Amino acid sequence: MISAAQQNEWFLHHLSQSAGDLPGRGIEWLENIREQAGQSLAQLPVLNRKQETWRYTSIDALLQQRFITAGADIGAFKNLDVTRWLLPGLDAYRLVFVNGRCLPTLANVADLPDGVVLDSLRAALTTDPEQLCTWFEQHQGRTDNLFTALNSALINDGALLHIGKNVVLEKPIEILYLNLGEEQSLLVQPRNLLVLEAGASATLVERHIGGDSCSGFHNHLTEIHLAKDASLDHYRLQDEGDQTHHLCTLFLSQGERSHYRGSHFSFGGAWARTDFHALLRQTGAECEVNGLYTVGDQQLSDFHLRVHHAAPGCTSRERFKGILYGKGRAVFDGHIIVDQDAQGSDAQLSNDNLMLSRSAEVDTKPQLEIYADDVKCSHGTTVGEIDPAQIFYLRSRGIDKEKALSMLSLGFAADISNGIKPEALREYVARQLTEKLSIQADSKEKDQSNV
Amino acid sequence: MLSIKNLQVSIEEKAILKGLNLEIGAGEVHAIMGPNGSGKSTLSQVLAGREGYRVTGGEVRYEGQDLLSMETEVRAHAGIFLGMQYPVELPGVNNLTFMRESLNAVRRARGESELDAPSFLRRVREQAKRVDLDQALLKRSVNQGFSGGEKKRNEILQMAMLEPKLAILDETDSGLDIDALRIVAGGVNELRSPDRSIIVITHYQRLLDYIEPDRVHVLVGGRIVRSGDKQLALELEQRGYGWIEEVAA
Repeated sequence: MISAAQQNEWFLHHLSQSAGDLPGRGIEWLENIREQAGQSLAQLPVLNRKQETWRYTSIDALLQQRFITAGADIGAFKNLDVTRWLLPGLDAYRLVFVNGRCLPTLANVADLPDGVVLDSLRAALTTDPEQLCTWFEQHQGRTDNLFTALNSALINDGALLHIGKNVVLEKPIEILYLNLGEEQSLLVQPRNLLVLEAGASATLVERHIGGDSCSGFHNHLTEIHLAKDASLDHYRLQDEGDQTHHLCTLFLSQGERSHYRGSHFSFGGAWARTDFHALLRQTGAECEVNGLYTVGDQQLSDFHLRVHHAAPGCTSRERFKGILYGKGRAVFDGHIIVDQDAQGSDAQLSNDNLMLSRSAEVDTKPQLEIYADDVKCSHGTTVGEIDPAQIFYLRSRGIDKEKALSMLSLGFAADISNGIKPEALREYVARQLTEKLSIQADSKEKDQSNV
Repeated sequence: MLSIKNLQVSIEEKAILKGLNLEIGAGEVHAIMGPNGSGKSTLSQVLAGREGYRVTGGEVRYEGQDLLSMETEVRAHAGIFLGMQYPVELPGVNNLTFMRESLNAVRRARGESELDAPSFLRRVREQAKRVDLDQALLKRSVNQGFSGGEKKRNEILQMAMLEPKLAILDETDSGLDIDALRIVAGGVNELRSPDRSIIVITHYQRLLDYIEPDRVHVLVGGRIVRSGDKQLALELEQRGYGWIEEVAA
């Protein structure tokens, strides 16, 4: 066990060793955010398993490692050929981050319609820091735990998306995070701010990609603000190497009748955690969050949802599915809060887990916390195995056992993965899933031959 | 084609089949009838390779090979098809994708080339029309939300696609109305050929009006207690199983 003092030391160490190369020095509002967050690192409670949100998650393995910040050598990647990471057929505006830093030379932001800003945080700090300040201060995420505070204390780079009133973006926006730190364990902390003004509409695809030998720690913080009648389709795919530690904290704030549809996929990493905070701030907001995770040996998928109905007549749907194999572990913690004033709230939460091995483990914990009396809320979780009768059915039709398992697992995930609208992305997810599931079939075969 | 000698099968220590003998030649259609719990479904499941059954004695040879040592899917590759009594639902598994995987797995195992998508689609649509299966069901998840009759038609469709050498139909007629019964029987009759054999397991003589069997066997208490031609089925229809059980005892 890592002691509280060691934990404190870990955060302060990363604060001090990373503070050197930060942009926007001298910009007062930014320095204030950093400074306050930096100070809170010494004051915030240490994370431990007595806390509800960390009950099933040990961060000891993470805290035993030291990470270094990707430095100025980022220029070496400026002519990187990113073709092999692109999805064939996905025509998108694009920002590309390598090891946490945006490389303008790799971006595709030409022909953006009027009223749309898509840029790196660093660039925006140079071109229009006042405008950035307005957006930032309106929507500054809470830095209420050590990880979000560490991100805020070291704001360096990230994506800035601002879509003006009533602008409807037909073409999706893609943000690609490539993690190429093969030799070193890198600390990568993108800080994103996404603002959709009234009536704006967009599709955003975020993909986190990293090699198998990348052992970095990615501590993302993303703020999303949807104004009245704004609509965002948000796809997030975490598919990093099995050594990677990935934490993404998302703050979503929704205005009147705004619509958020999120699909979160987590396939890789030693530890892949998402802390998703949705605040349904005004009447009639709709929030739909789907998720799918796969975990195998030495992997932990860790989803924490907080959906807060703070205004009347809002709707939320959370549907998460997990496929666990080998010694994979998953935590699902879904929490819906309905305020006293939030009458007419309609919330549904579900989490279904498919266990392909007896050694896999899942902790699933749905919670409803309701203070209003006129609400429609439900939650449900399942943990199950594949029915042998289904395997027999497929085998009796000539399909071998591994293929049968893979088909049934894909079938289990189908209602989540088939909901992906961009075809290129839907096919990519299907391919990734097939690959993950065939790997699990291979390892199972090996297990059996060892016996 | 199929030779079963003294087959003994248990489920969880309970003996179900107690020395069953059956010889089926190429091109023959055999009906197996018998009261509930006599072992009819156990026989079909054991032949198709369902796990969970313990063969405690006897042997089954299929085209000269030891059937019981073959993996389930290998039996399918070798031409065995079981039309299930209760086809399971496969949520999220597309019916067309499933049938194509199945057909191509069997074709690969037989050293044939895989069917490309257009040829496959043409064939499956044509066959679906023959068994009067709503084309919309091809795009749905396998058997999910299908009515009882639709499930059985979907079984016959798969049989028609796979063109098995030995088809075992386990109470395919149960739950079917007379029109559906005719269509299902039509599908079976189209499959009849000098090199294919069919086992029809049924409770009722009714199906045998449409699928005329070469032989009828009565299975009681895990053994075949009487065999005859189609007249035997008619006799059973009139007199029930009671008299045979008495004769057998």
